[in-house]
Amino acid sequence: MKSVPVKVEHEGRWVPTTMGIAEDRFRIDLPLKQEVPYKSVVDLEEKKNQVIITAGADGETVYRIASVEKVLAVLKKFIITQASAYRLNAFFMSPAIRGGVLVQNAQWEKGAIAVMKTGIWFVSQEKQVCIPLDEVTGIELTSREIQEKNLDVVKIDHLIENELVTSFVLCPLTTLQVLYNFLKEATHDTEIREEIDPLTGQVAMLVYSGMDSSAIENMLKLSHKELEAVYEKLLGSGLAEVLYVRKEVQLTPKGVRYISESVKSPID
Amino acid sequence: MGRILIVDDTMFMRTLLKNILFSGGHDIVGEAADGAEALARYQELKPDLVTMDVVMPKMNGIEALKAIKAADPAAKVIMCTAVGQEQMVKLAVKSGARGYIVKPFQAPKVLEEVKNVLSA
Repeated sequence: MKSVPVKVEHEGRWVPTTMGIAEDRFRIDLPLKQEVPYKSVVDLEEKKNQVIITAGADGETVYRIASVEKVLAVLKKFIITQASAYRLNAFFMSPAIRGGVLVQNAQWEKGAIAVMKTGIWFVSQEKQVCIPLDEVTGIELTSREIQEKNLDVVKIDHLIENELVTSFVLCPLTTLQVLYNFLKEATHDTEIREEIDPLTGQVAMLVYSGMDSSAIENMLKLSHKELEAVYEKLLGSGLAEVLYVRKEVQLTPKGVRYISESVKSPID
Repeated sequence: MGRILIVDDTMFMRTLLKNILFSGGHDIVGEAADGAEALARYQELKPDLVTMDVVMPKMNGIEALKAIKAADPAAKVIMCTAVGQEQMVKLAVKSGARGYIVKPFQAPKVLEEVKNVLSA
């Protein structure tokens, strides 16, 4: 097993060490001195240049590992293909739409999908894409024209750095149905149950589009106090969260789900 | 920077696009609320670019796009529609659309797409 330099979180601080990545397990050297079979991994998350690996039947051990992209890519690929997760072979296209604009070079990639505790992973020869479940803003079982045939796909809307991204998954319908049901269940917390009045809906749309408070006040002819009251509603219903000062907010995944659904019947 | 005609049947969306495009330094030369008005305004204003909603009363966006392209084959039109109507893309591209944006959209992405189409 070849050793590569990494940093691991140990007793609350980052410690430089080495790790070995084999076909069926990884090893972290001192101070952790652990060998972890990939099949014992139950969750995998990524944050910039680190991965968070949860292993053990009850998810009792968490490893935070930081390294260069190349090392993490190899590690992620082994984990995604062998971890204890619902896995299926599929074609995926991610991202297909980003921030409302179609991605020009988007194409279907042949690979696998692994459904883990906190997110779903797409993996192909070229790519590893993670969609954290708490960043999913919409799921739809729909059809899409592919090579002049109308085929069933699951469409997943999700946030990447607060930008709405759409990805598609293509596989046999029975498998798609399982994936769709799982995602529906996993994201039911962001379903819109409250009644949102038209003004609040318009403000949500403007916040998402990138308008600041003064632009929103001008566009909707609102006083500062009136906009503040709408923000209170957005915050109260969980559609938005305070960004950096009391008066500026950004939409939560639930908020993006609301405006995505609302444009299907335009906000007048 | 371009002279742009905004076509959308909802005033809210027109205002939003107007603000985004204005913030990017573009000149909004006119607005239209349906396809028929879009065609008339296009012929009158000869804008550098049109942002065109797909679902509109009287004449929809695809029909308006075809009519504008018939009148001016060099016309630059970006189609604009809601999530879930992406299937319209092929039809719009076949009909001569140069770009496509999907609602809800974010200002930087819209400006990037407009810049790409204007410079093409």
